Amino acid sequence: MARLTLERVSFWYPATERPALRDASLAVAPGEVVALVGNVGAGASTLLLVAADLAPRVVGGIIKGTVDFRGRGNGEGGRGIVLPTPWTQLSGMAFTVRDEVAFGPANLGWPRERIAGAVDRALDALGIGALAARDPATLSGGELQRVVIAGIVAMEPALVLLDEPTAELDPEGAGLVWRLVRALAGDGCSVVVATSDLNALPEVAHRIVWMEDGAVRRIGDPALLAENALCEAGLATTVADVWRTARLGAPYPLTVAQAEERWRQ
Amino acid sequence: MAAVSAELRFGQVSFSYGTVPALRDVSFALAPGERAALLGRNGAGKSTLLRLVTGLLHPAAGKVSVGDWDTSGRTPESLARRVGSVFQHADQQLFARSLRDDVAFGPRALGLAAAEVARRVDGALAALELSAHAAEHPYDLPPAFRKLAALAGAFALEPAVLVLDEPTAGLDRPLRARVARALSERAAAGVVVLVATHDLAFAAEVLERGLVLDRGRLAWDAPLAALLTSSERLTPLGLAPPVGAALSAALDLPGRPVRERDVAHTLARVAAARGRV
Amino acid sequence: MSRRHPFTLLALVAALTALAWILPAPAGGLGTAAAALALAAAAGPRRVLVPALVTAAPFWLFLLLLHDVPSTIAIGLRLTTMIASVVWVGALLPPGRLVEAMVAAGWGVTAAYLFAAALSAVPLLKARAQRIVDAQRCRGLSPRGGLGRRLRALRALALPLVLSVLHEVDERALALETRGFVPGARRTPLAPPRDGTGERAARWLLLVACGAALAWRIAWRG
Repeated sequence: MARLTLERVSFWYPATERPALRDASLAVAPGEVVALVGNVGAGASTLLLVAADLAPRVVGGIIKGTVDFRGRGNGEGGRGIVLPTPWTQLSGMAFTVRDEVAFGPANLGWPRERIAGAVDRALDALGIGALAARDPATLSGGELQRVVIAGIVAMEPALVLLDEPTAELDPEGAGLVWRLVRALAGDGCSVVVATSDLNALPEVAHRIVWMEDGAVRRIGDPALLAENALCEAGLATTVADVWRTARLGAPYPLTVAQAEERWRQ
Repeated sequence: MAAVSAELRFGQVSFSYGTVPALRDVSFALAPGERAALLGRNGAGKSTLLRLVTGLLHPAAGKVSVGDWDTSGRTPESLARRVGSVFQHADQQLFARSLRDDVAFGPRALGLAAAEVARRVDGALAALELSAHAAEHPYDLPPAFRKLAALAGAFALEPAVLVLDEPTAGLDRPLRARVARALSERAAAGVVVLVATHDLAFAAEVLERGLVLDRGRLAWDAPLAALLTSSERLTPLGLAPPVGAALSAALDLPGRPVRERDVAHTLARVAAARGRV
Repeated sequence: MSRRHPFTLLALVAALTALAWILPAPAGGLGTAAAALALAAAAGPRRVLVPALVTAAPFWLFLLLLHDVPSTIAIGLRLTTMIASVVWVGALLPPGRLVEAMVAAGWGVTAAYLFAAALSAVPLLKARAQRIVDAQRCRGLSPRGGLGRRLRALRALALPLVLSVLHEVDERALALETRGFVPGARRTPLAPPRDGTGERAARWLLLVACGAALAWRIAWRG
C-alpha cells in the first residue's frame, strides 16, 4: 500500500504558461527513501510542494492530476516538508531552539511530556543538543537548517519531504542528515528528498527519480546514477563519471568501494 | 584584466567578537594569480577572515594588507576598488530592474565613466555566461542564477582580490563548472582568488593552495592536492577527501591526481598498461 | 514589568493612549507622554527611550509645518504618548509570548495566526538588513555624501530588503502551515504567561479609569 501516490500531476505557477511540473506520476512506499535528481528548473522543488499538499495554497496556481496520501495506520503522522530556504520556516515566535523545535508538536496539540520527548529525540538526531538554549535568530545558516529539519522531524510525520537539506551544511552536518534519513526510513517513515549531493545517494536512496524540464524522465534504483544518459546530463556520481571519461567498460561503478572491487578483479 | 595587481597579506592577525576569539595569529600571503581554498569546520573562522579582507571588520591585532593598502585605515566602500566579495545569500542583495543594471551598481558606485562601466558589465556578464539574461529582472530568475549575478557584480569591480564564501552552494554541476571556468580566467589575469568552501570537489578542480582554519588558527598552509589526498590530516579538521581524491587513493593511482579529469586520464593510462579496458 | 502578562502590558498601552486623547490638552498629554517616556526609560534608556524619541521626532517636525504652536504641542504630546508606549511594549513583549497568551486565553489560532505570520519575519529581517548593507558597501556604496547620494544609497539598501521579503511572502505563509500552525489548530501552550487575579484586576481598573475620564470629560464639556 503506497503512502504517497502522484498520478499524472501537472502544476502551473501563477501567471506562467509553461507548467513547472508535467504529468508526473510517482508512488512512494512506507520506509522508502526516494531521491529526486535534476538540474536547476527540473521541477523537483515543485514536486515536493505538490506532495506536501501545499500546491493548492499557492494563490493563482493551477494543479491537475491526483495526489493521494495515507498517513500511518493509527491516523497519526502527516506530511512534513523542509524548504530549501530554511530561514523562511522559522516561527519567529520562539526564544530558544528548544521552543522552536517544540513549535510544531505544540501546534499538533500533544501533551507536554510527549512534546518534550519528541524534541529531545529530534535535537539528538540532528546533533544540535548543544544549541538548545540559543536564540534562533543568532544561528548560522547550517545550524538553522538543522533546527528547521529537527522542527519537522519532531512532529513525527509519516512522510518527510526534504528540499536540498544539506545545502548549507559542512560535510559532517551533511553526513548526519543522511544518517537521519536512513533512520527515519528504518522507522517506517517515507522520505522524498531533492538533492544535488549525488554521491551520497547510493548509500541512502532506495529509488532515484530523474527529472528534467518538469517531467519525470526515469525512475530506477541507484544504479541509474551510473547510466550514460545521466552522465551526459551531469547527474551521475563522480566515480561513474570518472570511469566513463576514462573509457573503462560499463556498467560504471557508483562508489569508491565499488570501483575498488572492480579494480581488484 | 585586473586594473591593479596586488598581494593579499595577513600578518599575525587576531580578531575576537567581544570576548570570544575568532582568529588567532593568522599569517599568510597570496600572490597575484594565486588560487586558494579556505577550509575548516563551520565556526572555525572562515567568514571572519573573509570579512577582514573586505574591511567589514578590522583586526584587533596584526595587519591585513591588499597590496600597499592597510585595511585598518579603510572602509569597505573604499576597499571595493581592490577587493570584490560575494558572501552567502548574495542573491538577496539584488535590486535593480535588470541584471545588467545590478551588475553595473558596483562600477557606478566607484564613479567610473559610463563607457567604462558598460565595458566592465559586459565583460562580467560574458565571463559568467549571463549575457542572454542581461535585460531580465533578477527576481524573474531562479536563485541559482541570482547567485551568479552577484558573482558578476563582484567581477565587474575588476578587483585585484576576489573573496568568495561558498560560491557553489545551491548550484548544480553545469553551473559549478561555469563558476570554475570564470574563476580560472580571473586568476590567469592576475587576480588573487580566495574561496571559503565545503565543496572540496570544486576546490580540487579550481584551487591550488589550501589554507585550513581550526578553531581560529591556521592549521595548514600548503598545496591543496597534498591535503586532499591525506585522510589523516583531513579527518581531525572535520573534512573528508573529495570523491576524486578518495578514488585516487583507493586505486593507488600514481601521482595521486585530485582533479576528476586527471583521475580519469591516469585511470585510463594505468588500465591500458594493465591490459584491461 | 516584562514579567507582567502580555494583556496587561497591552492594556497599559491602550489606556495611556486613550487617556492622552481624552484628558484635556496640554496637561493631559504631557502627563501621559511623561508616563510613557518614563516607562521607556525604565526599560532601557539606550535600547528603548532613544528609539522612541527618534521615532517621534519627525512627527513633531511635520506638525510644526502644518499647525500653530499650541496645536502642535497638544497633538505632538498625544502622538509621543502613543509612539513611546508602542515602542516600549514592542521592546518588552516578545511576539511569541503574546501569541502564547492569546492561545492560552482561548482566542483561537486564527487570530494569533495573522499576527504570527507577519512577526515571523522580523528577527531575520534585522539580520538580512545588515547583510545587505555590508554587501552594498563592499560594492562601493558610500553611506556618506549629499542628499541625492544618500537617497540613492537608501534605494540600494531598502529595495533589496523589500524585494527579497516580498519574494518570500508566499513561502512564509506556507511555512507556518508546514509547522502545523493553521486556523483551527488546538495548540498546547508551552509556557503560558502567568495571569494572576491582581493583574486581571489591574486591567479592569485601567478600563474603568479610562471610562471615568471619558465620562468626566463629556460632563465637563457639556
